[in-house]
Amino acid sequence: MFGKGLLTGLGVTFKRMVGPNITEFYPEQKPKLPTRVRSSMGLQRDKCISCNMCAMACPNGVIKLTSEKDENNKKVLKSYHMDVGRCLFCGMCAEACPTKALTVTQEYENAVYEPEDMDWDMIKRAERKGKVG
Amino acid sequence: MDALNTINNVFLIIAAAIRSLFADPHSVWANLTMDVIDFIIVVIIVVLAALILILLERKVAGWTSQRPGPNRLGPRGWFQTIADALKLMGKEDITPSGADKFIFKVAPMIIFSLPMMTLAVIPYGKGMAPINIDLGIFYFLAISAISTVAFIMAGWGSNNKYSLLGGMRAVAQMISYEIPLLFSLLGVVMITQSFNLGVIVEAQRTVPFILIQPLAFVIYIIAGLAEVNRAPFDLVEADQEVVAGPFTEYTGLRWGLFFLGEYGNMTAVSALAATVFLGGWQGPAPIPGWVWFWMKVGIIIFFMMWARWTFPRIRIDHLMHLAWKVLLPLSILNIFLTGLGIYIYRLVMGG
Repeated sequence: MFGKGLLTGLGVTFKRMVGPNITEFYPEQKPKLPTRVRSSMGLQRDKCISCNMCAMACPNGVIKLTSEKDENNKKVLKSYHMDVGRCLFCGMCAEACPTKALTVTQEYENAVYEPEDMDWDMIKRAERKGKVG
Repeated sequence: MDALNTINNVFLIIAAAIRSLFADPHSVWANLTMDVIDFIIVVIIVVLAALILILLERKVAGWTSQRPGPNRLGPRGWFQTIADALKLMGKEDITPSGADKFIFKVAPMIIFSLPMMTLAVIPYGKGMAPINIDLGIFYFLAISAISTVAFIMAGWGSNNKYSLLGGMRAVAQMISYEIPLLFSLLGVVMITQSFNLGVIVEAQRTVPFILIQPLAFVIYIIAGLAEVNRAPFDLVEADQEVVAGPFTEYTGLRWGLFFLGEYGNMTAVSALAATVFLGGWQGPAPIPGWVWFWMKVGIIIFFMMWARWTFPRIRIDHLMHLAWKVLLPLSILNIFLTGLGIYIYRLVMGG
């Protein structure tokens, strides 16, 4: 029948109208992220053996770490910096990590005001309260 | 029942009270005062309609695309339009250097004044038409046809090729659709033997004319959508083709007047549909007449918005095809059938 498509279309939009919204009210309600989201890095200092494998695996040279030997002649992490402005969040560093000290996390509110703030001190980040990783 | 009657006639009672303040309740001065009050009420209706409808439109647009629509300002975003109106008032008023200044400035005023003139003849309740004239429908259509002139004035005065294109489209479209619009109303006029909107509403006490004239109602709604340049017939202001048509060069409050006029015209067309086809202020349930009326207007406006957010824009040649090859023959057929029906009715009833 001529014009049947028009009525079908009206039906479709009406169903959408009375149906649920798909909007996420972001600042008030935190979004549910897909499991594969890679948006931040986290370091567990006590697990790290300062092997430098992560820095070697990084395609962009993001990771810079320094270490010193302790009395048992073991390497102890002294500083761990990531230049996040160049980071792809590809996760190859986390893959290379033999002790799983470095992990990809789903923390996402990473915007900063100054370019210098993109240089993450991972040890300090790990000590922040209530943050993942 | 008594309380209902009071609510039903609350505006008439207020009007009588104002009139009784004068020594002679039917003197020239009393009439003049009432006319001024009626005018102010119609202006308020137009402005309120625009304020509410702009928000409702955005809400419906949101709901249709599974969004909540404006939701930040006020409870659930209901104050959004007020903020938008204030923003429009604060904007700079720009007149393009090559514009025809008088025409450019007078066009939005004409657009805005038309819904005030058309809404003045609508009966909002029993005996509640601000102006009760015998040629109601005739006057309504004559006034609303002027908006074509205002569109071409805006398009020409802007000195912009897209505006002129939009204005030309407005003329082609609105003149074409005026004919089926007019003819669709003729069937009702033939049955009631009157152009007076009050008489037409009175005639629908038992059966609204949508049941007697369903074809005319469908034609009226389609032609009405085209008359007020609403999607899917929004070729006049088609953003993707002619930027915003005649409105391209307007800023601030002048543009706001166009917007007010557009929504006011939409209200006027819906009000006429509610009056002529849906029985105006008459309804089966014991609800005050003016509530009935605005409910019906609201339903038609909602349908218009619903259609806008469902259908894509029609192509210009299809637009003309629809008007001249489909709607016009159908409306003439409707007039013919109505005449035949009246003839048979008289033959049977012996009237």
